[in-house]
Amino acid sequence: MSSEATAHAADHDHGHHGPKWLAHHFDTPAQQFDAAKLGMWVFLVQELLFFSGLFVAYGVYRSWYPEMFVAASHQLDKIMGGCNTVVLLFSSFTAAMAVRSSQLGNKKATGNYLLVTIACACIFLVIKYFEYTHKIHAGLLPGRYFNPHPEHLAPGAPPLPANAGTFFGIYFMMTGVHGVHVLIGIGILIWIWIRNNRGEFSKEYFTPVDIAALYWHLVDLIWIYLFPLLYLI
Amino acid sequence: MAHHAHKDDGAVHAHISSAAFYLAVFLALIFLTVVTVAQSYVDLGRFNLIAVVFIATCKASLVVAFFMHLRWDNKFNVLAFLSAIFFIAVFFAYTMNDTEHRGEIDADQNVKVLPKTGEEAPGGFEPKQASGEAAH
Repeated sequence: MSSEATAHAADHDHGHHGPKWLAHHFDTPAQQFDAAKLGMWVFLVQELLFFSGLFVAYGVYRSWYPEMFVAASHQLDKIMGGCNTVVLLFSSFTAAMAVRSSQLGNKKATGNYLLVTIACACIFLVIKYFEYTHKIHAGLLPGRYFNPHPEHLAPGAPPLPANAGTFFGIYFMMTGVHGVHVLIGIGILIWIWIRNNRGEFSKEYFTPVDIAALYWHLVDLIWIYLFPLLYLI
Repeated sequence: MAHHAHKDDGAVHAHISSAAFYLAVFLALIFLTVVTVAQSYVDLGRFNLIAVVFIATCKASLVVAFFMHLRWDNKFNVLAFLSAIFFIAVFFAYTMNDTEHRGEIDADQNVKVLPKTGEEAPGGFEPKQASGEAAH
């Protein structure tokens, strides 16, 4: 199939050339693959810069109010945060395995690995839902909505200073924007799973699986920093 | 570079890692997660944050290099990634160089002087409060 594709591409025939997944404006599959990867990396780099605004806000406030950050962080559930870390790392592993299966042309394995990845993403959001629900019940909310109910707070934790609402503002913004990325990731992975089922991918053309997995790894990457910075102070 | 290292037939020649290798990377990530959780129970004082960021960066490097294939990818993509890290560092350095030193400018600039000594000059802004207890 690949030699056939190349033979057609080499014709420079500006009519229909090559396999149908090879866009008209690319000479070869390799050129199309490189262009797609570069485009995705530029997008991912933009995502990193976008998240860095939140990380800088975190850095500034943590350095201004270190004791407040320690006290407020004790209200977060390390166990739930740790479980979510393992779930996301595992989903990143299965996403990498989905790409590998696709590179080898194993459609069934690709589909299964994608499904496991999607399932892990859903588990992550369910755990996040329980965490958020508890924070809302305990009145651990951002800024002026911060109104902690002593009976719902973590036992044995240090007393919360009145400006701890700042920490929860940062917590909800960082994990919330990350959660939106998880949600979008689920949508993208389902779309790729459907396309895989339709048999659109092959050893020669697995670019969409690769690109979608790159996005999913970025979601994992952000969480790798969020977990220790928010939960383990 | 993966695609150009081989014969240039125009087909995609991406590197394919073994399943065992991906599993090893995953186990290394779990191991580092255990390390970072364990570290949170040991107080290293001001080195806490350095330890946390160091371990997280080790994990992030594993994900970027192997799961995201950057180790075998086109070098231009590596450059795009590293330039983002550089600009994030610039963002941190310039912003915190400001926020960490507010209220410490000299009296000639007409700002509050050295909150540590309590010496004040008119026309400045409020220096930051000493600690987290400073809420209102």
